[in-house]
Amino acid sequence: MDRGFLLESLRSAIEAIKTNKLRSLLTTLGIIIGVTTVIAVISVISGLKTQVASSFSTLGANVLYVQKYPWVMGGAGIDWWKIRQRKDMGMDEFRALKEYGSSFKYVAPQITYRYDVKVGNKNARGVEVVGTTEHFPEIRDQGVKLGRFLSLDDIRYRRDVCILGQDVVNTLYPDENPIGKQVRIKGRILTVIGILKELGDLMGQSMDNVVVIPYTTMAKFVGHRRSITITVLAQDEEEASEEIRWILRRVRKVKPGEDDDFSINSSGAITKQFNELTRTMFIIMIGIAGISLVVGGIGIMNIMLVSVTERTREIGVRKAIGAKSSEILSQFLLESVMISFVGGIIGIFLGFSLTKLISTIGNMPFGMPIWSIVLGFSFSFFIGVFFGIYPARKAASLSPVEALRYE
Amino acid sequence: MSNLIEMKKVRKTYKLGETEVHALQGVNVSISKGEFISIIGPSGSGKSTLMHIIGCLDVPSVGSYHLQGEDVGKMNGDQLADIRKKFIGFVFQDFYLLPDVTAWYNVALPMIYNRVPPKTRKERAINLLTEVDLSDRINHLPNQLSGGERQRVTIARALSNNPEIILADEPTGNLDSVTGEGVMQIFYKLHEEGKTVIIVTHEHYVADQAERKIQLKDGMIEDGG
Ligand SMILES: Nc1ncnc2c1ncn2[C@@H]1O[C@H](COP(=O)(O)OP(=O)(O)OP(=O)(O)O)[C@@H](O)[C@H]1O
Ligand SMILES: [Mg+2]
Repeated sequence: MDRGFLLESLRSAIEAIKTNKLRSLLTTLGIIIGVTTVIAVISVISGLKTQVASSFSTLGANVLYVQKYPWVMGGAGIDWWKIRQRKDMGMDEFRALKEYGSSFKYVAPQITYRYDVKVGNKNARGVEVVGTTEHFPEIRDQGVKLGRFLSLDDIRYRRDVCILGQDVVNTLYPDENPIGKQVRIKGRILTVIGILKELGDLMGQSMDNVVVIPYTTMAKFVGHRRSITITVLAQDEEEASEEIRWILRRVRKVKPGEDDDFSINSSGAITKQFNELTRTMFIIMIGIAGISLVVGGIGIMNIMLVSVTERTREIGVRKAIGAKSSEILSQFLLESVMISFVGGIIGIFLGFSLTKLISTIGNMPFGMPIWSIVLGFSFSFFIGVFFGIYPARKAASLSPVEALRYE
Repeated sequence: MSNLIEMKKVRKTYKLGETEVHALQGVNVSISKGEFISIIGPSGSGKSTLMHIIGCLDVPSVGSYHLQGEDVGKMNGDQLADIRKKFIGFVFQDFYLLPDVTAWYNVALPMIYNRVPPKTRKERAINLLTEVDLSDRINHLPNQLSGGERQRVTIARALSNNPEIILADEPTGNLDSVTGEGVMQIFYKLHEEGKTVIIVTHEHYVADQAERKIQLKDGMIEDGG
């Protein structure tokens, strides 16, 4: 297409939009909402995905968390009531897995409570105190960086020893080596034998605000019993899961045909569940976006029909001075695409801002994939062409004389 | 030598629902290059219809029209547009300038469709405006110009692709007689420069200034065809 003609069409389109600013803006509302939704949904979900993927990788591959509840409640056919009725996970299950399990390398219980951990008048509040066995480091792939971990004897003789996470060290012994020193948990004195390697954050929470003690020691000062987590290091997740189900259904006396009354969680499973959850969300939001884009498109068609009628004389003059039908068509098509594009740009900007806001409030990584912007532009372009073609053809097919005579 | 414009038994019929309106009923016109013609007649006699056909904005329902020996009746829309662009310059009673662009841009508009390079476009538009005595109104918007000035801009626009034929439909219709006289002088000058000028009017004092008058009545030529 000739550059001079293209520039003239652009100028004319801009002029038309400028003379009817409010009308054009209202017209683009549907496009704005549609594109904003598309951008925001894609960006937020992709941000969440990155976060989930990176976070759960710290949980380690091939680690199964056998628990009372699933990590993610979602998807079809979830019976909340039934899940809430489940029996606690206890040491019997741990012992059964340890005794009968053959497809996995290690199994260890994790009994978790939140307590204050104190030294003198220093207090680390709400620390995750984990009672476990000597296999914890292998399963979690998290050893000590200083001192030693729990030994079989520590477990067997219920020794009052503990391993501190880095956050706790920072609070209680900021300037000295804590090994051999003592801490207080619920009035009980424990000797520090090691410091755990740092893990960093998971879903915005520090994984290092932790104290590990023998689960046998924990039993000495924990009153009521609560559901525990049994961690398993599997060779093959599928195979291990099947074996765990087989064992636990017997131990927990689940009748044949009934659903499991426990959950086997893992980073792989959660990613899968998360993807299922986001897919539903995605489809719903794309549906909303699609509807607003179509509504926006119809708005554009309507406004372009008005514009063609208003400018019938102008079309006549342009034809009289030599404009071809195809040139009139391009001119009006360009105008509808431009209106749609303006909506698209505003939508991309709003989508960007919305994503930024959500990621700030939700403390999530901010990520706006380039392809979502490309998608936003393509959508608005496509809508502009699709809904602009009919009015533009109407303009192009006007007979010059009729157009000039139009009052 | 064949004439520039050669119309034979041209009829133009408009259908208005059931009834037919016979705007032209068998018109023969021949005009040679460089003539200064006026088409005169009462309202509704078919003057504008005839002018639209001469200007290739419309085609005859019946009859033949040859422009420079070429049969216009056989041309498609794009070919007609091409003829209008290169051979014909229109001047309308109501000016029909684009309201949101300056005088020079209005004059340059036909050159955009004729793919004239931008620099030449502006230069030529300014020259044309100077020719119609508007060198000090180049950057004015149409609503900042008087009626006579607007009509002179329209004439400059009609000249922008250096057409063979200038067609004006009631060019003085919206102007007072003094201003109208000024506009007529421009047409006379164009005629002297060799252009074929055809002016539609229903005022005799305007028509009398032409070399030849074609008188229309009820879609037929009474005199001067
Ligand atoms: N598009 C049309 N549909 C129906 N009738 C038409 C159409 N265009 C013109 N006419 C009729 O054709 C006849 C000639 O019209 P035309 O415009 O050529 O007259 P005119 O001589 O230019 O008149 P005026 O001096 O008022 O401009 C008129 O009776 C008019 O009503
Ligand atoms: Mg008329």
